[in-house]
Amino acid sequence: MLEIRNLSFHYPGAGRRALDGVSLLAAPGQILGLLGPNGAGKTTLISHLSGALPVQHGDISINGKTLAEIRRATPTRIAVAPQEYAFYPMLTVRENLECFASAGGLAGAHKQQRIAECLAFAQLERYAKTRAERLSGGLKRRLNLAIALLPEPEFILLDEPTVGVDPQSRAFLLEAVRTLARNGAAVIYTSHYMEEIEAIADRVVIIDDGRVLREGTLDELLGGGKAQLHFAVDGITGAPLNALLAGYGSSTKTGDGWLVALGAGKTPLALLAALEQAGGVIRFAEFGRSNLEQVFMALTKHSLRD
Amino acid sequence: MLLALIKKELLALIRDVHGLAALFLMPAVFIVIMSLALKDVYDPPVKTLPYAIDNRDNGTLSATLVDEWKKNHGDPHSRDDAWSDRVQSGALSYVLVIEQGFSDALTASELEDKPLLRLITDPGLEGGVYSANKAELVMIASEMRAQALLSASKMAMQMSRGKRAASPADVGVQTSAQDIVTAERLAAGSRPTAVQQNVPAWLVFGMFFVVASLSNLFLQERQCGALARLASLGVPVSVMIWAKALPYLVINGLQAALMLAVGVWLMPVLGGDALSLAGIHWGALLLVLLAVSMAAIGLALALASLVRTQAQAATLGPVVNILMAAIGGVMVPKFVMPDVMQRIAEFSPMNWGLEGMLAVLLRGSDIGGVLLPSAKLMGFAALMAVVAALLFRRRVN
Repeated sequence: MLEIRNLSFHYPGAGRRALDGVSLLAAPGQILGLLGPNGAGKTTLISHLSGALPVQHGDISINGKTLAEIRRATPTRIAVAPQEYAFYPMLTVRENLECFASAGGLAGAHKQQRIAECLAFAQLERYAKTRAERLSGGLKRRLNLAIALLPEPEFILLDEPTVGVDPQSRAFLLEAVRTLARNGAAVIYTSHYMEEIEAIADRVVIIDDGRVLREGTLDELLGGGKAQLHFAVDGITGAPLNALLAGYGSSTKTGDGWLVALGAGKTPLALLAALEQAGGVIRFAEFGRSNLEQVFMALTKHSLRD
Repeated sequence: MLLALIKKELLALIRDVHGLAALFLMPAVFIVIMSLALKDVYDPPVKTLPYAIDNRDNGTLSATLVDEWKKNHGDPHSRDDAWSDRVQSGALSYVLVIEQGFSDALTASELEDKPLLRLITDPGLEGGVYSANKAELVMIASEMRAQALLSASKMAMQMSRGKRAASPADVGVQTSAQDIVTAERLAAGSRPTAVQQNVPAWLVFGMFFVVASLSNLFLQERQCGALARLASLGVPVSVMIWAKALPYLVINGLQAALMLAVGVWLMPVLGGDALSLAGIHWGALLLVLLAVSMAAIGLALALASLVRTQAQAATLGPVVNILMAAIGGVMVPKFVMPDVMQRIAEFSPMNWGLEGMLAVLLRGSDIGGVLLPSAKLMGFAALMAVVAALLFRRRVN
């Protein structure tokens, strides 16, 4: 279990703390989705876990031992796949894997075995002799992941691992991450793609301005959202429509219709029936609860970030 | 459209501070350095050369010769019994030896073909200076002989009561002192040809150019996060530094082998003089090459750790190299520089390397003869390594 307690960090000369009392847990076999707008503190948090930044305040521990102790004794227990293509473009896929395998302390037959396993895991066997600089964006992402997995880490930090890849590569990478968790690794996954987090995360942490705004399972995060009906209707407009909608909850005009957050005891069927009775013709209707993006936007506000 | 694109280009230029510095500052600095270094190039630099006089003659003419020589060359360094070592090492550029019997011989009607004025020079003394000094010595001695003979003939005239005395030329007396003047390089390892001088200079310059290559790769690794990844895998900073330094040590070794091979084998094929390695002390050569390589790699690591952008990496290394070469005697031989510039040259690591190489290739120095420049280079390498280590960790993260 990786546990972060009350972690704070202040960059020299910065006006405010990059991290301010962050606490979270990453458990083996689970994927923790880490969400936050640009400048929220995600990279600072990951830099702590990768050992690039020292702990100023608070603590990070793994099964009761401090991160510093763990990193001194067995730094490869935690692996980071950074957002950048952190490998050598002039080397081939295999040469990169060999370089980082040796850097991670692997040697001999075990090293060759891990290289073969990681090539297979990322489905890069066909490209083993291809220079990394000649790979497509999706293949580069897969190589980035494969390098991170070489030393069989227990804790894997994936920083936006699907940026700039096509849907097929994204689906492959997401399935690969699920497999890692199924095999027992604790995965911390950051992304700006909400649907990815919804698809794979067991728990989600939303941070902004260096603070944890919300933390819990996806159900816990989305459970607070009201049921809402999104629809478009012809044949009824203006004051009659507004008066009708006001009786069912709070309504908002959207680009192509209306979004109504249903009040207590109100059902979508009743609202749609009322619209038809008033002479309206329903063009489309969608019913559901708030999704992660709506929760995220509500929590982090809509203002643009750095 | 054109204006918009021109504006873009100008804005990009103005905001690239280091690129601008290279464009404007480097030529300005170059003009200053090269003008100062070449200030005396058309004025033979013989006045600035350190020398000593070994006067073994008891006559008055030898004292006159010494005074004449001092007029053009300044005061000599004090002579000691170990002057040959000082000439061999280059500490003295030459020693003027006035043999016993010089004064008597100069006034004799017949000049013996016997070396009485010997100019013994540093093996690496530049050919033009060597010839100029010898010619000047012949000229002074000849003039003194002519005057001495003329005085003797005038005295003879007075003694013969007003009869015109025959001048030395009239009676066919040899006035030229050429036969008694010799010049020799002290136990030269090799003749100082252009190749013998140029190969060491450009080899040292080329070895320092690993700065550009190392900085570029280091910056690339840093920017893509590969170094941070290595650090997160627990690779110590010292291992990262050694992993960078050792390959460049091999590269420097190959550079040296290639440059020496070009001098030895290619130059004669192209019609030039061959570089001679005959009789050199190989241990001393390897020590100097190792020291130059260590200094170059140390500087490269420090600069690589210092730069933050590709523009800095692309300009800083070459600029530092070229300035060190301009100051250090690679582009302009140190002996043609004025005193001040010669003293400044002694602070350039390239000059230490060059002096070490010249000591081996021109003076036939052994390890003892190159210890000082090698120690300076290694000290510089150590200092740069400390700077690199201090900056490296910060840059990796």
